[in-house]
Amino acid sequence: MDELLDFAPVGFLSFDDGGTITAANQTLVDLLGYARDELVGASFERILNVGGRIFYHTHFFPLVRLHGRADEIFLILRMSNGEDIGVLVNAVRRTRAGAVATDCAIMHVRERQKFEGELLQARRLAEAAQAEAQEGQRRLEEANSRLEHQAIEMEQQAVELEVTTEELQLSNDALQTRASDLERMRAEADEANLAKSNFLAMMSHELRTPLNAISGYAQLMEMGLQGPVSDAQREALDRIQQSQRHLLRLVNEVLNLARIEAGHVDYDVAVVPVRDLVAAILPLVEPQMIQNLITLDTADTADLAVACDVDKTQQILLNLLSNAIKFTPAGGTITIRAQAEEDGEDAGKVALLVQDTGIGIPEAMLGLIFDPFVQVETSLSRRGEGTGLGLAISRDLARGMGGDLKAGSEPGAGSLFTLTLPAARLHPDDLP
Amino acid sequence: MDDILRRNNVKVSGHGSETMLFAHGFGCDQNMWRLVTPAFEADYRVVVFDYVGSGGSHIPSYDAERYATLDGYAQDILDVCHALELRDVVLVGHSVSSMVAVLASNREPELFSRLIMIGPSPRYVNDEGYIGGFERSDISGLLDMMDTNYVGWANFLGPAIMKNADRPELGEELTGSFCSTDPKLARRFAEATFYADNRNDLRHVRVPSLIMQCADDMIAPDHIGDYVHDAMPLSTLRRMEATGHCPHMSHPEETIRIMREYLDAPVSTESASVSP
Repeated sequence: MDELLDFAPVGFLSFDDGGTITAANQTLVDLLGYARDELVGASFERILNVGGRIFYHTHFFPLVRLHGRADEIFLILRMSNGEDIGVLVNAVRRTRAGAVATDCAIMHVRERQKFEGELLQARRLAEAAQAEAQEGQRRLEEANSRLEHQAIEMEQQAVELEVTTEELQLSNDALQTRASDLERMRAEADEANLAKSNFLAMMSHELRTPLNAISGYAQLMEMGLQGPVSDAQREALDRIQQSQRHLLRLVNEVLNLARIEAGHVDYDVAVVPVRDLVAAILPLVEPQMIQNLITLDTADTADLAVACDVDKTQQILLNLLSNAIKFTPAGGTITIRAQAEEDGEDAGKVALLVQDTGIGIPEAMLGLIFDPFVQVETSLSRRGEGTGLGLAISRDLARGMGGDLKAGSEPGAGSLFTLTLPAARLHPDDLP
Repeated sequence: MDDILRRNNVKVSGHGSETMLFAHGFGCDQNMWRLVTPAFEADYRVVVFDYVGSGGSHIPSYDAERYATLDGYAQDILDVCHALELRDVVLVGHSVSSMVAVLASNREPELFSRLIMIGPSPRYVNDEGYIGGFERSDISGLLDMMDTNYVGWANFLGPAIMKNADRPELGEELTGSFCSTDPKLARRFAEATFYADNRNDLRHVRVPSLIMQCADDMIAPDHIGDYVHDAMPLSTLRRMEATGHCPHMSHPEETIRIMREYLDAPVSTESASVSP
C-alpha cells in the first residue's frame, strides 16, 4: 500500500467474495481503532454492528456481486472500543491480479448522518401524523355513521312509541268503560238481590197470615164447636192441619233465608258449654231415633265452651241431626263429638262433629249441598219433603256467628258435618 | 394466469420435463439466481419470479394484510405453480424462502418433488432454549439502516438519476439494486421474515429436502442447519465450504455442484447428513 492511499482522506478496504478483508489503509485503521493485522484476514462482518451484518448479506453484498458496484451505501461500523459510527461506502468489484476483489471507499459521516437522522425522524413523524389523521378521519366517519344510525333508530322508536301510546290510550278508554259498566251492573245486581230478599220477606209474612187462619179454623172445627164431626171429617181435618204445618215450615224457612241474605238477622251471642247445647236438643230427636232404631253417642263432647247464639246454634244442630236420622238406616249410629281446633285456619275455634253411618253423599253433590233449594235425592229421602234450605240456612247462620259449616262424606260409610264456632272460656263458676 | 405471471414478474427458460422454481430471499429479487440458473437450463425448465413488493413485481397488487406473514409469500409460490400448471416441482429457496417453501409444500405437497433450502432458519430471534442468533433490538437496527438507505438514497437520489436521459442505464442499475424502492414494503418483508417462527412447521414436511449450510453464516448459524435437519423428515444436510449467507452468489460453482449431486441421486427415503 503506497503512502498516498494509506493517508488519503477516506478509509479504504478490500474484501473477497467470501467476505474476508484483504487490505485496509491507515486512515481506516485510525478511524476504527483496530490494528491493521486485526483487520486484514478478518471477516468484513466483524466491523459491522449486528443490524449492519444482516444488511450486508441481504443488500450490500448482492448489490456489489450482481451489479459490480454500489454507491453511497450507508453502513454502521463497529469500532474497536465497541462504539458504532455511520459511514457512507462506495464499492467496486473487479478482478485484480487474477483475483476478484471488492474495493470500498469509506467516508465517516457525522453531520450528514445527523441531518439524515433528523430528516428520517421528521418523515416518520409526518407519516405517523398522517396515519393518525387518517385513523381520526376514519373514526370520525364511523362515529358519524353510528350517530346517523342511532338517530334513525331513535326516530323509529319515537314513531313506535307514539303508536303504542295511542294503543294504550284506546285500551285505557275501553277498560274505563268496562269498569264503569261493571260498577253499574254490580249496583244493579245488588239492588235486584235486595229487592228479592225484601220481596221474599214480605211475601212470607203475607203467606203466614192465611196459613195461621187455616190452622185456627181447622182446630175450631175439630173441637166440634161448629157441630159434630164425623170420623171421615176428622180425618180430613187432620190432613188439612198436616198440610198447613208443612206449608208453614216451608214458608218459615224461606223467610229465614231471606232475612239472613237481607242482613236482617241479629245474633244474641253468649258463652255456652257445648254439652248444654247438645243436651238441650236431645229430647227433640230421641223419639225419632228410637223409632228408627238408631243409637246416639254423645260421650265425647268434652268440657269445651263456645261463643254463639244458643237458639240459632241449636237450630243448626237440630237440622244436622234431622238429616242424619233421615239418611241413616235402622241399626246405625250417630255420633256427636267436640274438639278444640289448634292448628290451621280453624285455630281458636271449637269443632262440633256430627257423624253418621248412613248412605253418605255422592262426591258430585258435596259441593252443592249448601246451595239453596238443593236436595240429595235417595231412596231414604222422601221426595218433596223439606225445602232444601236447611243446610244453606245453617251455614249462613254459622258464618254469621264467626264460624262455618263443612261437609265430608264417604258414600256407603256415612257423612261427617263439622260445625265450627269461636271458642270461649267459661267463667269458673260455670265449671262443673 | 397472465395476471399472476405479470404480477410476479415470472420468467421461464430452459428445457426439460422437470421444473425448477427459484424463490429469492429477503433483500433482493430474481436476479440473485442468475449465476446458478444457466447451469440447469439444459436439463430443467427453469422458473424465476419476484414476490409481490419485490423487484419487477406489480406493486399495486401488494396487499399489506396478505404479506404481513410468510403465508402470503407461500401463496405467491402456489399461485405461480397453478398459473403454469406445474407438478413435481424442485423448489429452490434462499434464506427466508426456505421457510416459505416449507409453508407452500405443507399446504400443497403434491405440487413438489423436492425442496432445496439454502441457509434456512426457522426463527431468527432467540427464544427460551433456542438460539436464533438475534435479539429483537438487532432487527430494529437493521430496519433503521434500511430506512436510511431506502429513504435517504433510493427515494431521493434514485429517481433523480433515473431522469438523466444521457445515462439511462445508470438509473436502471441503481433503482434495480434493492429488492424494492418502496421502503414500507421492504420494511414489512423484513418484519415478516425476521419475526417469523416456523419451528413447528418443519416436522410436517413430507417432501424430501436438501439443506445447504454455509460455513461462518451469521444469519443462519451452523447449529441451525442441524436443528432444521433434525426436525424435518426426509431431509439431507450438506455443509458447504462456502462462507457467508449467499453461496449462490459468492460460490456459485460449489452451489451448483451440490444441487446437481442431490438432484442426480435417487430420491431419499430417509434423512442423511453429508459434510464436505
